[in-house]
Amino acid sequence: MAIEKILKDDASEEKGERARMASFVGAIAITDLVKTTLGPKGMDKILQSTGRGHGVTVTNDGATILKSLHIDNPAAKVLIDISKVQDDEVGDGTTSVVVLAGELLREAEKLVAAKIHPMTIISGYRMAAECARNALSQRVVDNKENAEKFKSDLMKIARTTLSSKILSQDKEHFAQLAVDAVMRLKGSTNLEAIQIIKKPGGSLMDSFLDEGFILDKKIGLGQPKRIENAKILVANTAMDTDKVKIYGARVRVDSMSKVAEIEGAEKEKMREKVQKIIAHGINCFVNRQLIYNFPEELFADAGVLAIEHADFDGIERLALVTGGEIASTFDNPESVKIGHCKLIEEIMIGEDKSIHFSGVEMGQACTIVLRGASHHVLDEAERSLHDALCVLSQTVNDTRVLLGGGWPEMVMAKEVDELARKTPGKKSHAIEAFSRALVAIPTIIADNAGLDSADLVAQLRAAHHKEGCNAGIDVISGSVGDMAELGISESFKVKQAVLLSATEAAEMILRVDEIITCAPRQREDRM
Amino acid sequence: MAAVTAAQPRASKTESYVDNKRKEDIRQANINAARSVADAVRTSLGPKGMDKMISTANGEVIITNDGATILNKMEVLQPAAKMLVELSKSQDAAAGDGTTTVVVIAGAILKQCLSLLSHGIHPTVISDSLHKASTKAVDVLTAMAVPLELSDRESLIKSASTSLNSKVVSQYSTLLAPLAVDSVLSVVDPEKPDMVDLRDIKIVKKLGGTVDDTQLVKGLVFDKKASHAAGGPTRMENAKIAVIQFQISPPKTDIEQSIVVSDYTQMDRILKEERNYILGMIKKIKATGCNVLLIQKSILRDAVTDLSLHYLAKAKIMVIKDVERDDIEFITKTLNCLPIANIEHFRAEKLGYADLVEEVSLGDAKIVKVTGIKDMGRTTTVLVRGSNQLVIDEAERSLHDALCVVRCLVSKRFLIAGGGAPEIELSRQLGAWSKVLHGMEGYCVRSFAEALEVIPYTLAENAGLNPIAIVTELRNRHAQGEINAGINVRKGQITNILEENVVQPLLVSTSAITLATECVRMILKIDDIVNVR
Repeated sequence: MAIEKILKDDASEEKGERARMASFVGAIAITDLVKTTLGPKGMDKILQSTGRGHGVTVTNDGATILKSLHIDNPAAKVLIDISKVQDDEVGDGTTSVVVLAGELLREAEKLVAAKIHPMTIISGYRMAAECARNALSQRVVDNKENAEKFKSDLMKIARTTLSSKILSQDKEHFAQLAVDAVMRLKGSTNLEAIQIIKKPGGSLMDSFLDEGFILDKKIGLGQPKRIENAKILVANTAMDTDKVKIYGARVRVDSMSKVAEIEGAEKEKMREKVQKIIAHGINCFVNRQLIYNFPEELFADAGVLAIEHADFDGIERLALVTGGEIASTFDNPESVKIGHCKLIEEIMIGEDKSIHFSGVEMGQACTIVLRGASHHVLDEAERSLHDALCVLSQTVNDTRVLLGGGWPEMVMAKEVDELARKTPGKKSHAIEAFSRALVAIPTIIADNAGLDSADLVAQLRAAHHKEGCNAGIDVISGSVGDMAELGISESFKVKQAVLLSATEAAEMILRVDEIITCAPRQREDRM
Repeated sequence: MAAVTAAQPRASKTESYVDNKRKEDIRQANINAARSVADAVRTSLGPKGMDKMISTANGEVIITNDGATILNKMEVLQPAAKMLVELSKSQDAAAGDGTTTVVVIAGAILKQCLSLLSHGIHPTVISDSLHKASTKAVDVLTAMAVPLELSDRESLIKSASTSLNSKVVSQYSTLLAPLAVDSVLSVVDPEKPDMVDLRDIKIVKKLGGTVDDTQLVKGLVFDKKASHAAGGPTRMENAKIAVIQFQISPPKTDIEQSIVVSDYTQMDRILKEERNYILGMIKKIKATGCNVLLIQKSILRDAVTDLSLHYLAKAKIMVIKDVERDDIEFITKTLNCLPIANIEHFRAEKLGYADLVEEVSLGDAKIVKVTGIKDMGRTTTVLVRGSNQLVIDEAERSLHDALCVVRCLVSKRFLIAGGGAPEIELSRQLGAWSKVLHGMEGYCVRSFAEALEVIPYTLAENAGLNPIAIVTELRNRHAQGEINAGINVRKGQITNILEENVVQPLLVSTSAITLATECVRMILKIDDIVNVR
């Protein structure tokens, strides 16, 4: 060959048609993988870890599935990224966003095959996305003013989100839990204040919301098991001994009594430290590190409740919700902020004892205790509940609400179709394709439910031809139904994020005309 | 990567036919794997069920009849099979008994699901119907149940012995059942009558003797000898007991230390100082009147030295050393005393009092018993004996199951008949109910009802009876309104099972049905297995 080699040995290059092909195939394969999880009758996946222990996860959450996949295809990685971003931004719709992007690419592939330039497709998609967004924002319902109605909107959204998850059977119960928890936050999106504790045993219906904070620890021996009007000092300090942390420090003595003296001095130091801590005027002391027997006894004598070995997450949250701060030196009692709560007591959850802090400073804080048959169920329940909480907290800030069940997609598709008719030139093909991709979502929902999607979607399209129609797919009865009556709602923010990020991702992948795989970094032979 | 290469030919989205072959295959594979797990434990169900011998990877041998233990030790890899193992663990946590039953029921429901799926019913429809059926089943069971008072010791013993009858130690059920009942009842806190913390019952295993020698001890038992190093006392009446968390040994600082000896007179002095130091501590201990010391194990330094033991023996103080830190809470709760972490805090009010602390010889081994404790906390100790390690272990597991059964009765005070009676009654009532339901639902509920017959069927089969004849006869009797007719395995015929004293707690049955259904629903909803990092 006359052409000189430009790239390194193991590096490869794919150009033009082939490169585009590779992206399409990768993206569509990912879409096909997750699309069966879409909708209330979507299926779950087992994720089997190939690592140590062969751990098993059962999930319906798109982001969780995608996050854990081994992927080598660059386009597929882009889709996984948008799913992650969706998860971080709004928490739900992680599957929808990937499916929509995949469908857009599937349509684009056909257009490319029909010799339409990718750039034309991109500009068509852009116009269509803008038009679809406007269509949605015109049809939103905003009940911000009416607290009663807004709460029922939240309940509807929570039910809709949960209905595609493992919690669907008890969605009424969990929707109430999630709405109550989010309402307590009073508009903040700080989900840190909602603590989720998982305890195996019982059934999902036994899960409950508890105001306050639960710490999964035991109270030290011989200490009060119940404290009212507690003053809490949260600390991260060594309560075994204060060691001299200079390497090689050692004591040289010449008699046994001196050793005893030093030991006595060490004990005395510890006692002083405990005295200083008690001098803060506290009656509850929570430490991240171990509290040894000796200080534990001193605390017990002083009637202070001491909790040892609380985990990092636990003390940070505890400091947050009780309004205290984490202390590590105790010389200036006046400068340390001490947390407060009305009541500390030991409670039993299932078979285990935990410590319950109620009436905490930060009124927003609450704890959701999940009960369930096994760890699989609990993990999945936590993921589902987390999704619902995210969506709800977003909705509290952006109170615009849409109907669900494929309704928004059909509304958008209709507007986009009209735009296509008005647009001259090749772009109109792309716009038309965009509308087809939108319709694919209700189609998949129907397919997953084992319904005749072709028939249902045709009916739906006909119904939407009328102005102001509320028709969507009622998966339970397997027919077209009125979404407003069925109480199926979605958050505008989620839908908008799905629409925009899916379009952007599709655009990005379409622009690619060359894939260069870099040569793997050579490993030096260290033998 | 597997996912990407598995890209299927892309079907146009508007076609109504979707190729689901791969998905069906995966579901089938999952169900088959789960069923094979269920089949593995099936033969251990019931009073005439057989045991399994498990030899673990490290050469240990376990003989057991307990479903949870068998499954736990089976190293299954298939994810769906793993879920059944988890299921059995959950039942163990929720009710403690019925760990085999729950797996067998799940296996039977899965078998029915397979045929439902092959009829083309959508998995979510099956799953929803199963949920409905299980809720209804719980209602039916609750209606069948007989309320129970905790004062009714007879009934409690009956249900504990039903649980024990299917175990290796069944011939000892007359001994172990009352023992289980008494120990649970003794730890029930009158302030929280629904709660029983099984951690308040300590089971001490000691090789030797037979299971007959198993006994309930009102007090404490240590699986250790009293310290004999210097001829200290081994029996102490009117004991004053201290639990100490410090060490009676030469001082040791936390910082590294070294004693510099520069001449030989110093050596004598150091030895003398050491003696004085220890003597000083022991005098303080003696001054409070303490005569029994329980010393926590220490990893940092010797908890006691020969020297200190010698002085303790001279001071007529009995010593039990190497008590684990985890046990301290249980001990202090029982003795109603406080642990002492520093010699300075050694005061009389922190001591516990007991009538007698003595070392008892059991064959070769020795244990220490503390009895007649003043103001004893709500705890109990059971001393399990057996001729070999295998028997002891199995006896402990069986006893644990029996304790759980009694605990279930304390938290939910209802009894239900055993011997397959509730299952066959459920099957009958759900079967009748399915006829009033519409569409697919009715069909699925009927399958669920049929699946429940697996319990009496397996009971009969394991007992060497003709399962078909027994199950049909049982159905017949139930149809005539004898809701408590069940299989009497001993007589090999059908009798009113309540009269035969075969009873079990309601909680065991309801949790078996709800957990099994939940697990099956989860398996049904899975359509793909993805390999991940």
